[in-house]
Amino acid sequence: MLRFEQVSKGYSGGFVALDRVSFELAKGEMAFLTGHSGAGKSTLLKLISLIERPSAGKVFINGVDLSSVKARQIPYVRRDVGMIFQDHRLLMNHSVFDNVALPLVIEGFTGREMAKRVHAALDQVGLLDKARCLPATLSGGEAQRVGIARAVVNKPPLLLADEPTGNLDPDLSKDIMRVFEAFNQAGVSVLVASHDLGLIARMRYRTMTLKAGKMINDGLTHQEDGE
Amino acid sequence: MSMLFAGRAVGATASQPNVLQKLLRAVLTHVRQAITSLGELWRSPLWALITVAVLGISMTLPTTLHLLVKNVQQVSRSYDESFEISLFLKNDASATDIATLVTLLQGDAEVAKVRLIDKAAAMAEFKQQSGFGEALAFLDQNPLPDVLLVTPKKNQPAAAEALMHKLEKERFVELAKLDISWLERLAALMNLMQQAVYTIAVLLLSAALLVIGNTIRLSIMDKKAEIEVMKLVGATDAFIQRPFLYTGIWLGVFGGFLAFLVVELMLWWLQGAIATVTQLYQSDFVLNSLSLREFGYLMLIAVTLGLVGSYIAVRSHIKAIEP
Repeated sequence: MLRFEQVSKGYSGGFVALDRVSFELAKGEMAFLTGHSGAGKSTLLKLISLIERPSAGKVFINGVDLSSVKARQIPYVRRDVGMIFQDHRLLMNHSVFDNVALPLVIEGFTGREMAKRVHAALDQVGLLDKARCLPATLSGGEAQRVGIARAVVNKPPLLLADEPTGNLDPDLSKDIMRVFEAFNQAGVSVLVASHDLGLIARMRYRTMTLKAGKMINDGLTHQEDGE
Repeated sequence: MSMLFAGRAVGATASQPNVLQKLLRAVLTHVRQAITSLGELWRSPLWALITVAVLGISMTLPTTLHLLVKNVQQVSRSYDESFEISLFLKNDASATDIATLVTLLQGDAEVAKVRLIDKAAAMAEFKQQSGFGEALAFLDQNPLPDVLLVTPKKNQPAAAEALMHKLEKERFVELAKLDISWLERLAALMNLMQQAVYTIAVLLLSAALLVIGNTIRLSIMDKKAEIEVMKLVGATDAFIQRPFLYTGIWLGVFGGFLAFLVVELMLWWLQGAIATVTQLYQSDFVLNSLSLREFGYLMLIAVTLGLVGSYIAVRSHIKAIEP
């Protein structure tokens, strides 16, 4: 589903965010990406969603080399990848329904078909009753779940989450992770970047650890000193 | 279609609509975005109002000047008879010769009208108008020549002059006369005025274009976060820029209509004053307002300005916003 081959990313000024990272995420697999702030987690996710391009190496999604994707094709790649952000990035002056509907509107859905899908997505995250609310009236956990609903509303095969529980307390974080688990069980490949080690350890999924841009551990448990 | 996953049904294409349905859907999307843009203008009325006012006022001045030129032209057109060329015929021309010449001239493509004033008629008119009635009776022979009054088809002085030189060479023509110097001056003046109108129009409309571009730019900056999110969930640049282009079109529509209203109001205001002047001059001058066609042009120019202004802003700024 997702494959990194010796991917490096350097920024001007000599800072190396990723250093020859290779891994593969199988279809229907769920994995965590962890490491300290600045270890390169966000950069890695940005390479998948084509917000950034690698300096060296190749990224494949479903066998397609992302370096072959032209700038004007980027939007179409993003439609295949659901993205969830720490700050949920909702449109604050639009209702929950409109926020979740955005990817569908972009793809040209209208009317009843759109409403059906939006309601299905909101139902999956347990927020069907909040469709008419504005994001400002929601709690942090609810807002994050709206973000998830938006990411999954067009049923992408791959789901990326960047610190989805960063601003939430442990109970809410667990809820959010359970939502990801549910999508994974429905066949979606999920990659979650998080530094919430305690939570990750309890979930017992494959965990990849980045340190200063290098992949230092890839296994069932988190090991900080695996160098 | 999905870029990465062959066979993954993506978007509204999943239901595989036919061409007609696709077209209908596209039209529907455009209509919806146009209405959304209108709604957004409505919700942020102040900046929209200011931009519409700038556009409206910028278009009012050239439109007024255009009307001025048009009305002066109309006045000068009533002097069209002055373009008549007088052909004084030779004394030895017989009635048949004259008749032949008239037929010949009537067949000429450049001639609109030919009128014959023969010697006797000219004499009668002269007697009546000059006040020499009795004295003229003592003449044993009518000294006046036959005259042909030729009205050219084209109303430009140059064309009339050319025609005059041509007619001068006709066999029975003694002398051709056309008093056009003052008409030439008037035409030159009008031409100057028209050029001035165009120059002012271009300058003012360029300013309006920049104002519209800036307004749209501010509106893009205002929605930076929203645009970033839209790009993140897979919106194309074309999709993102469409509402801004519609906003530009709406600004054009309202600005153009404002200009029309201001001009009409001004004409209504001036009507009284003009009526007084025309009464004093005993003229049957009627103030011409914008024709439907001119109104169409006004709106077309305004909408084009709105669209181009917003396109310039959109082109450079939406690409620059990246998540």
